[in-house]
Amino acid sequence: MQQNNKSKILIIATNHSSYPGANAVGQAHISYPSNTYIIRVPDPVMFPEDFYINSFKKGISGIIIMSSGSDCPYEGAYKRLSKRIENVYIKMKELNISTERLRLTTICTVCREAFIKEISDMERIVSK
Amino acid sequence: MSDNNLNEAQKRVGVYVCHCGGNISDVVDIKKIVDEISKYHSVVVARDYVFMCSSNGQSLIEDDIKNMGINRIVVAACMPSLHELTFRNAIQRAGLNPYLYEHINIREQVSWVHKDNPQGATSKAILLIKAGVEKVLMQDPLNAIRVNAEHRVLIIGGGISGMRAAVSSADNGIEVVIVEKEKKLGGKLNRDGYVYPSDEKAVDIVNKFSKKILSNPLIKVYTESEIINIGGYVGNFDIKIKKTDGDIDNIKAGSIIVATGFDHYMPYDGEYGYKKSDYVLRLKEFIELLSKSDGLEFVFKGKKINSIGFIHCVGSRQNEGIDAPQADGKVNEYCSRVCCTSGIYTMNKLKEKFPDVNVYDVYADIRTYGMESESLYEIASKHDVIFFRRPLDERPQITFEGDKIKITTTDILSFNERLEMEVDMLVLLTGMKPSEIDDISGYLKLSKSTNRFLQEVHPKLRPVEMNINGVFAAGTSLSPMDITESLQSAQTAAMKSAILLSNPDIPLDPFVAVVDEERCTGCGRCVEECLYSGAVTITEKTIDGNIKKVAYVNPAMCKGCGACVAVCSERAIDLNGSRLSQFEAMIDAIVKE
Ligand SMILES: Cc1cc2nc3c(=O)[nH]c(=O)nc-3n(C[C@H](O)[C@H](O)[C@H](O)COP(=O)(O)OP(=O)(O)OC[C@H]3O[C@@H](n4cnc5c(N)ncnc54)[C@H](O)[C@@H]3O)c2cc1C
Ligand code: SF4
Ligand code: SF4
Repeated sequence: MQQNNKSKILIIATNHSSYPGANAVGQAHISYPSNTYIIRVPDPVMFPEDFYINSFKKGISGIIIMSSGSDCPYEGAYKRLSKRIENVYIKMKELNISTERLRLTTICTVCREAFIKEISDMERIVSK
Repeated sequence: MSDNNLNEAQKRVGVYVCHCGGNISDVVDIKKIVDEISKYHSVVVARDYVFMCSSNGQSLIEDDIKNMGINRIVVAACMPSLHELTFRNAIQRAGLNPYLYEHINIREQVSWVHKDNPQGATSKAILLIKAGVEKVLMQDPLNAIRVNAEHRVLIIGGGISGMRAAVSSADNGIEVVIVEKEKKLGGKLNRDGYVYPSDEKAVDIVNKFSKKILSNPLIKVYTESEIINIGGYVGNFDIKIKKTDGDIDNIKAGSIIVATGFDHYMPYDGEYGYKKSDYVLRLKEFIELLSKSDGLEFVFKGKKINSIGFIHCVGSRQNEGIDAPQADGKVNEYCSRVCCTSGIYTMNKLKEKFPDVNVYDVYADIRTYGMESESLYEIASKHDVIFFRRPLDERPQITFEGDKIKITTTDILSFNERLEMEVDMLVLLTGMKPSEIDDISGYLKLSKSTNRFLQEVHPKLRPVEMNINGVFAAGTSLSPMDITESLQSAQTAAMKSAILLSNPDIPLDPFVAVVDEERCTGCGRCVEECLYSGAVTITEKTIDGNIKKVAYVNPAMCKGCGACVAVCSERAIDLNGSRLSQFEAMIDAIVKE
């Protein structure tokens, strides 16, 4: 399959915000590369630090965490999440995994341009 | 019903792939997906259908559950918010736990975004479906959490939509609280002048509804009041209302209808000459002026008005690069839908009162939709209103010469001739803009459309329903509508809210944290990490005859964010429906090929 050798980007999207945001991109029929795999979660705050490291070890090339930011229905979750991601970056450095491959961002239900930009930035990084 | 204790071999997965007409199948190769997925482990059957959500499509799933013993379902179709409930209901009808189902989005997140790469889209769909199979294999049957519901609806905004929703709700025996920020109910209809299509005075309509509301013991009205916080969830919203006297009332409601309406478009200084002359008016101002003007001649501020120009689409149907952006940097691309009809209706009223006034109407399109409104256009033509059609990408120019206002426009109807006309007064058909409700939409986390009006879950399939369970919207808070349409949407919102509150308890999704008491060491890290006090606590339990400290989750208070999951070193706390191990299995499937 043509896709086999292609680097895979994991997108962690939230029920409330970035998952509908990704749908808004679809509704506007805006194209982006197909090596992008969206998983739908209540909030990325649920993932322990090892989850990211293990995903890289398994073969995921880039991870974009699309958090809900200020739209987040869980007050305080973003603060906890960003603290967690800071620790993941430290571990990534220790393991010689480029920290660029993990991106924490916020995407709203209508943030189409930002969604596309995040993907094209990550595409550039993983194709290096 | 299947149970938690099935071994792997007993788990029988059915996969159902939708064509969505051609929306999916025009891009992805459905046959290839079905061929490949039928060979995947644990998949007993894989089928495709033109519209999975149709009753025939749902029957495919139901029949397989009943006849083939399928006990795990994956549907690959459009975005889950559209039909998750449809499929859950179908699965439940067939006697299976409705949560033994995973929905994979291959329309908005595959076919519609990879049109230029059908092969890539197909491969991606296959991997996502395999990941879905892995997830559903680890899914346990769940039962909805039932919470007691307050038999009361909060209506925010007391315009015609809010008033209609209040009367309909009370007719259904539901207590109503209306919160209106202005002194009086009625919203934009608290004005002089008449309205189409009933040809009644706007205030007469308001008074009719006000009487019904004020005499109904089930309806409580707060005017000149402000909502300063909304918490809670469907069935149990907690609302803080600040009253005129500064006092704060706390109320509870089972559902909420947002009927906060629209704001009149205000042209910027100089837009089509607005504020450069007293004789350039917005439609709303002109309607009120006309209703107060009597006599043989139309006189305004000492000047006899012999001719009036009307300009359509002021502040609506704007184009980037042609019209000045709004405060948020965007132009108003939408049509305000009422200004054509209201404008032409008003021209007819003018001609009935002052037949000698010459009327020139410059439009891009005339959108007097609806049977009765179309006849208004014919009447205007009979009244000798002269129509000029401008190109979509051009705007009429306004200049002032002495006490005359000069309109210069291209007219498509006279073969693109440039025309100039001098008038004594100019009326701008200004439409609607979304009202400023960042506070309300912030408390409730409501979605807005690109036009900044509130966004329904789906305008056709789930109209008036907001993205938050138990919250509905009515009238012009959703999009530009006339009175008839506002009343209809308010009625729909009231009915949906009444259906929701018709039972003493409401089923809630069971997606909350759960504790594996055997693994739990009672360390309390989850309690520290939890964002909601009281949602997870440490209690003592007797397990196998021993007293043990374990975490306990209160399902009515847990919001299901999962913050606790990340910090438990024992992997003893997890989220129902979104287990950490399920996501790990999905990733394994994605990286496998
Ligand atoms: C120029 C013009 C002419 C029109 N003419 C006609 C016509 O002839 N015929 C016709 O059918 N339609 C006409 N319409 C459309 C008509 O005005 C609307 O359909 C109708 O007013 C919509 O009612 P609503 O309740 O949705 O909104 P609104 O009338 O805007 O009412 C919303 C209410 O919510 C309140 N509110 C807002 N925010 C809050 C908050 N945070 N807390 C508490 N309260 C809040 C507001 O104060 C207001 O009272 C016209 C519209 C325009 C612009
Ligand atoms: S209703 Fe008519 S005037 Fe109003 S925005 Fe639409 S086309 Fe323009
Ligand atoms: S669930 Fe985990 S974090 Fe919470 S008390 Fe038990 S062991 Fe500790």
